[in-house]
Amino acid sequence: MSEKFETFSYDDAIVKKFLLATVIWAGVAFLLGILIALQLAFWQLNFNTEWLTFGRMRPLHTNAAIFAFAGNAIFAGIYYSTQRLLKTRMYNDMLSKIHFWGWQLIILAAAITLPLGFSQSKEYAELEWPIDIAITVIWVIFSLNLFGTIARRRERHLYVAIWFYIATVITVAVLHVINSIEYPVSLLQSYPVYAGIQDALVQWWYGHNAVAFFLTTPFLGLMYYFIPKAANRPVYSYRLSIVHFWSLVFIYIWAGPHHLLYTALPDWAQTLGMIFSLMLWAPSWGGMINGLLTLRGAWHLLRTEPIIKFMVAAVTFYGMSTFEGPLLSIKSVSALGHYTDWIIGHVHSGALGWNGMLSFGMIYFLIPKLWKQEMYSKKLMTYHFWFGLLGILLYYISMVTAGITQGMMWRAIDATGRLVYPDFVETVMRIVPLYYVRAIGGVLYFIGFCLMVYNIYKTLKAAPKDSKEEVYKAMPMEANPEKPDAKWHRRLEGKGFAFSLLAFLAIIVGSIIEILPTLNIDKYVPQNVYVDPFTPLEQTGRDIYVKEGCYVCHSQMIRKLPEEVLRYGKASSIADSMYDRPFQWGSKRTGPDLARVGGKYPDLWHYRHMLDPRAVTQNSLMPAYPWLFEKKIDFMSTRKKLTVLQNLGVPYTDEEVANADKLASEQAERIAASLATELKNLDPQSPVTAKSLRDKEIVALIAYLQALGTKVDDSELVEASE
Amino acid sequence: MSDIKDDEKEILLDHDYDNIQELDNPLPKWWLLTFYGTIIFSVFYYAYYELGSGPSLSEELREDMQVVEAKMREADRKAEANIDWQALAKDPEALAVGKSIYDKNCASCHAAQGQGLIGPNLADNYWIHGDGSMPEIAKILKKGVLEKGMPPWQEILKPEELQATTAYVYNMIGTNPPNPKAPQGEKIEL
Repeated sequence: MSEKFETFSYDDAIVKKFLLATVIWAGVAFLLGILIALQLAFWQLNFNTEWLTFGRMRPLHTNAAIFAFAGNAIFAGIYYSTQRLLKTRMYNDMLSKIHFWGWQLIILAAAITLPLGFSQSKEYAELEWPIDIAITVIWVIFSLNLFGTIARRRERHLYVAIWFYIATVITVAVLHVINSIEYPVSLLQSYPVYAGIQDALVQWWYGHNAVAFFLTTPFLGLMYYFIPKAANRPVYSYRLSIVHFWSLVFIYIWAGPHHLLYTALPDWAQTLGMIFSLMLWAPSWGGMINGLLTLRGAWHLLRTEPIIKFMVAAVTFYGMSTFEGPLLSIKSVSALGHYTDWIIGHVHSGALGWNGMLSFGMIYFLIPKLWKQEMYSKKLMTYHFWFGLLGILLYYISMVTAGITQGMMWRAIDATGRLVYPDFVETVMRIVPLYYVRAIGGVLYFIGFCLMVYNIYKTLKAAPKDSKEEVYKAMPMEANPEKPDAKWHRRLEGKGFAFSLLAFLAIIVGSIIEILPTLNIDKYVPQNVYVDPFTPLEQTGRDIYVKEGCYVCHSQMIRKLPEEVLRYGKASSIADSMYDRPFQWGSKRTGPDLARVGGKYPDLWHYRHMLDPRAVTQNSLMPAYPWLFEKKIDFMSTRKKLTVLQNLGVPYTDEEVANADKLASEQAERIAASLATELKNLDPQSPVTAKSLRDKEIVALIAYLQALGTKVDDSELVEASE
Repeated sequence: MSDIKDDEKEILLDHDYDNIQELDNPLPKWWLLTFYGTIIFSVFYYAYYELGSGPSLSEELREDMQVVEAKMREADRKAEANIDWQALAKDPEALAVGKSIYDKNCASCHAAQGQGLIGPNLADNYWIHGDGSMPEIAKILKKGVLEKGMPPWQEILKPEELQATTAYVYNMIGTNPPNPKAPQGEKIEL
């Protein structure tokens, strides 16, 4: 028999690399989080500098947290556990290395391009098209490596952790590719092929499932490996694993439209988003139950073992946020919570609690194994845990309180039928103290992280230098044939390809049913509604709006709710955004909605507001944008932009496209001339002239803001219905 | 091998992955009931709102707006029923309310003392829209002058607040504070 044994070793060098990258990027993500938290409390921290302004820093923070911190943590855990669960080395060491370095380069590219303002403005998919292509290539390499490893395994059946890895690899590929179909305008700018409601639906199908298949399924896989390992206990229920895995991957993919409740998205899609979110509650809790009950009989470890503390906290936060998620998806709850800090609190209980705590537990578990050296201090690990936990609690409680408080203020209508708080900034002032509490929570979490860094540093310093790979023995898979009485799912676990195909089918059904119908946008806009596309100058201003990340604080979507109509005007329709590439509906209102801001204020108001928001709105938190008054409009690029938009189906005439630069500069001339006159009226000493102003970005931005909500002519429709 | 309790041996599966073993506990009942419950609710919910007679979001909004607008009309009717502009113009309480509303909402465009900034000078004797009488000022406050960027305030301010602001602005006319914006419109006689 003994000659049948094969010897092999595991590639742990790659796990070490991913692990250290996790720690480094975690620090970056946390520091950025603290910075932007403080910017919201104290606007001076935007430093009047374009590269440091909230609109550009917030996407950097989310990308760093999701793709750099959580991403590297996932890869570290997957590379470590997959080799051991399949009893084989990773398929190809070179592919592993390309995956590692490619991913770090992508992160670096993000860290450079996002502060410079190269952004598609689609949340968690902001990176521009060349980086999108790089992500695709690296993801394919990772997939090849994983599936290659599965093909060469010495373990016949795939363990539940591997199921989750497979679902992750397949679904992230599908999400990323479909959401990133864009038409380049230049090396670092593109327009998505989708417009308006299509773009909103595809983006939130992606955005929600980035949470599902980047921050949930891979971490569930890690949970299924590291909790039984750390607690030395069997997994609670194999049956539950099967039921909750398949129901989770099938149901999750439908839930995206819960980000778009009460918007212009057709009702049926919204309702699907809500009910699938509700049905997701039990499948999510299946994971929590299997995680927590695996510890049944080992609860004493919770007192003494910091790793178990981290993991139990992680799974508990997972349970909390997967209960809160369905709750927030109920239409009437979303009406209150959407656009507020409640959502920010919700995602951070997931990110800091579930992803963060599980990653820390995993890191503390792996370091002694990989470096053959016990952690320097168990006490510091425990302190890390308590700082982290206290930080999350402060963060979560302050943000939920802020969100509900502001949501209640926005919707309060008195006996005269008027808003009780018509002044938006008043509702912001009320929650600023809570923004400070949130920042303190973030700092505590970061202090805990620093303790971990010190602990790791001391451990690695003491670690033995020689790191020879250990050699393992196992029989090939063929030596272990399928049992004749094996049940159908057990057999399926023995068939990597069939399993993956089934997982693919599970996620593609909901995707097709939800997305396909809206691709035919014209069907949803009545025949007698006319929509003008943006003029070349307005489109240029729109690109500036996208570049500065205005959407991170301002929505362009008046929901079908009376308080929204009172505050912002007629509810937004599909026609309102039908040529918007990308859509700018937003997901958070730190400032008011802008869907119908066009014509609401004079040009001079916007001019003064962008230069110094507090000159027109006392107590405003908005950063100033002085660079827009210096940077010049690139008029020639408008031709290229309109050409691309025309190709994508925006009804520009050939003449408009050919003369785009001329049309843009004429409109800029008009706005600049009237602004200069007004400024002279106010202050005869004003150095601003029509000539000095006409080629500045601020003019294009004002043109765009004044066009918002003015492009749709539905008078025939209104007459017909009367 | 995992640490297995005696009562678990029967449901322990004959399998291990990197020393991880699995039990085959039945699905918790409450969990299954929750799952079935959400599915059944969802089927009925979708059927009612999307296939059956449930109202669409636009219909719900229309109904809600009718309620709000009725409240508005009722409040406006009451407030405008027996308004005495002359008395209001001298009512110190109303003027105090008017001032606080002016400072918060109007001063950013018309300047703190009404001398004009983004919007026209309110404190000279020139008037662009209407004749500077209180009912005319009230009309502009309510409806706005959309093409000039003056927003309508009737859905934002309560009727009493609108009247108080009218009184406050009326009292500004002719106060001629320093650093005025150049006069615009017609000269008016008071």
